[in-house]
Amino acid sequence: MGKIIGIDLGTTNSCVAVMEGGSPKVIYSAEGRNVIPSVVDPVSHIVGDVAKRQVVVKPRSTIFSIKRLMGRKYKDESVQRDIKWLPYSIKEGRDGMAVVEVDGRTFTPQEISAMILQKIKADAESYLGGKVTQAVITVPAYFDDSQRQATKQAGEIAGLEVLRIINEPTASSLAYGLDKKNAHTIAVYDLGGGTFDISVLELGEGVYEVKATNGDTHLGGDDFDQVVLSYLAETFQKENGIDLRKDPQALQRLRDAAEKAKIELSSSKEAEINQPFITQGKDGNPLHLNMKLSRAKLEELVDDLIQKTIEPVKKCLADAKKEKKDIDEIVMVGGMTRMPKVYETVKNFFGKEPNRSVNPDEVVAVGAAIQGGVLGGEVKDVLLLDVTPLTLGIETLGSVATPLIPRNTTVPTSKSQVFSTAADNQTQVEVNVLQGERPMAADNKSLGRFVLDGIPPAPRGIPQIEVSFDIDANGILNVAAKDKATGRSQSVSIKGSTGLSKDEVEKMTKEAEVHASEDEEKKKLVEIRNLAENLVYTSEKTLKDAGDKVKPEDKKEVEEKVSAVREALKSEKAAEIEDKTKELSDVLQKVGAAMYQSSSTGQQTTADNQPPTGEQETKAEEPKAGEKVEEGEVVK
Amino acid sequence: MKNQDKVTKDKENTELKKQIEVLTNDWKRALADYQNLQRRYEKEKIEFAQYANGILVLKLLSTLDYLEKVQSYLKDDGLGLAIKEFKNVLSEEGLKEVEVLGKKFNPEEMEAIEKIDGEEDKVIEVISKGYRLKDKLIRPAKVKVSVIII
Repeated sequence: MGKIIGIDLGTTNSCVAVMEGGSPKVIYSAEGRNVIPSVVDPVSHIVGDVAKRQVVVKPRSTIFSIKRLMGRKYKDESVQRDIKWLPYSIKEGRDGMAVVEVDGRTFTPQEISAMILQKIKADAESYLGGKVTQAVITVPAYFDDSQRQATKQAGEIAGLEVLRIINEPTASSLAYGLDKKNAHTIAVYDLGGGTFDISVLELGEGVYEVKATNGDTHLGGDDFDQVVLSYLAETFQKENGIDLRKDPQALQRLRDAAEKAKIELSSSKEAEINQPFITQGKDGNPLHLNMKLSRAKLEELVDDLIQKTIEPVKKCLADAKKEKKDIDEIVMVGGMTRMPKVYETVKNFFGKEPNRSVNPDEVVAVGAAIQGGVLGGEVKDVLLLDVTPLTLGIETLGSVATPLIPRNTTVPTSKSQVFSTAADNQTQVEVNVLQGERPMAADNKSLGRFVLDGIPPAPRGIPQIEVSFDIDANGILNVAAKDKATGRSQSVSIKGSTGLSKDEVEKMTKEAEVHASEDEEKKKLVEIRNLAENLVYTSEKTLKDAGDKVKPEDKKEVEEKVSAVREALKSEKAAEIEDKTKELSDVLQKVGAAMYQSSSTGQQTTADNQPPTGEQETKAEEPKAGEKVEEGEVVK
Repeated sequence: MKNQDKVTKDKENTELKKQIEVLTNDWKRALADYQNLQRRYEKEKIEFAQYANGILVLKLLSTLDYLEKVQSYLKDDGLGLAIKEFKNVLSEEGLKEVEVLGKKFNPEEMEAIEKIDGEEDKVIEVISKGYRLKDKLIRPAKVKVSVIII
């Protein structure tokens, strides 16, 4: 089953995405980039980044901005305007259509675009590991029938069946899932590398209708770079009397520096431009470019450009017969919308926060991929996998809630963990299944409980009880507990573990946040208590096991400390319990060390002569999960 | 009556068969996506380990450019040694300079910045060096190319 790819065939850059596992994924080019420059050398069949690198050497055979000629007549006003600045040769072809001429050969814009699409197809095939034969391609909303037809032909030449041509603003809206959000009127603000488009769409009955479009076919990121570059060059000229723009090498470095500074200023307030040895002074001494550019200065420089986008927006609204307040959602597209000032300007104009969470360079391709998914039946029929809205776990020693499946885990899923007993000769454990985010069992919702009995009597911590959680695709939770020694098991099935209402989930999550700190304290107290009780147990066991190997005065000291801990445990004071536990632990270590010393001569150490620390019990059975088992002792 | 029952049953059967087909399809699709993901994950893991340093190395290259530029003016022995050591460290990470000077212009590994009249498509000056990291081009060389200007 072949995949349907979604392609944003852009004027400056193109991008491709595909649905995978029910969500859109952008495919990176062989060069490792998320976009491919829409640049082609049709004679040598070089496309993308590689073609872009040779523009300077072969300006007449390296074709860019071909989209401007797609499906247009040679005599079209826009073609006549573009001829003036495009460095390659544009001629009148069959039926008066605009074609390009390279080395005496003519190529239609369809053929040139097809080469970009072929490269995209090849990259997608290498990514997906299979043939790709079908695609959805986007076009500007203002493309007429002839331009759409040309785009479709380009796909066919490239060996792609074009299942649908969709409007770029529609694709962007799809990428934001606005069709499901009840947004009726949407404005799409698309400021790309070389063009600016504004569209107003209306959604009804699942169909997007473009009400109006407007824009500026020669306004984009490149203009912004140019403004910054001019500023840097002029400042340098003022200081040093040299125009860097006249030196191609210096100009290249300046261009790179200007673009880098522009990008940097989207996230920081100031950028430092450092280009040592950029040129030589009149006296032959090297000159350095070292300047600081603040975001405020940049915004001042490009303000005219940003303001230039507002007029088309106003016109577009007027054409759509809409007012600012009628717009339910605004979608930002194109790399330039990353600039905070652009975002601010749009936000202030509409008085509403625009959508910008999807990468603005990829959003159109992502939307096209979603459309492809819908056409291929993948999106509509995709199994919408549920997630567990709240954490699931069991109650363990000290009424602590021990999580097994964290919230937001995609179901179906399963998880198991080994627990042990909390007391000597404990023959049964009770498993209390909990749902919720709070650390203490009582604060969470108990979904059910059951008892596993028939555990052979053994010291605490020795039995291994495996508790497993399994949630199937229908949200039914099965919890089972199994004693590894006897194989006895017990289980419970809980329906609707994911089926809480939205309000319930919200309430429980909020409660967890509100109580986070006090809960943490409670849990800490329990942990301290558990540790203390554990140490008391170990101490007594050590004394018993050691018999008369312990000096009477040591024994007495340990016993005193043990009762001090016991006393402290009656209170709820964490600090006190902790102190007393520490004292006991110190004494116990001292005694233990003394015992080892005395026994080292006589080699009396035996297997059951355990070192007097608090954690040794679990080490014997499961060295890796030592502490886990300790924590997870099941409450009797 | 019986006939009607049969019709209903048949209809039900067809419905169920259709449903099975849809579900099998969906399941296969999910499985395929998963297997692809697994394969790619393995591949990416290896690539990541191989090229994890790439981004850092790429950033350091502009510093190396500056140092070399400074050295071309100062011709200081100490600085020369320091640059050599810096390059050693980078080459231990698998960095290799792309040899371009005097060669035919090749956009696969070079970017043309300037052209002058001369021999056809020959690199006559390197403006900034190109580098490969373990055979993968991380930065094309920026070059001045001679072309026959008609």
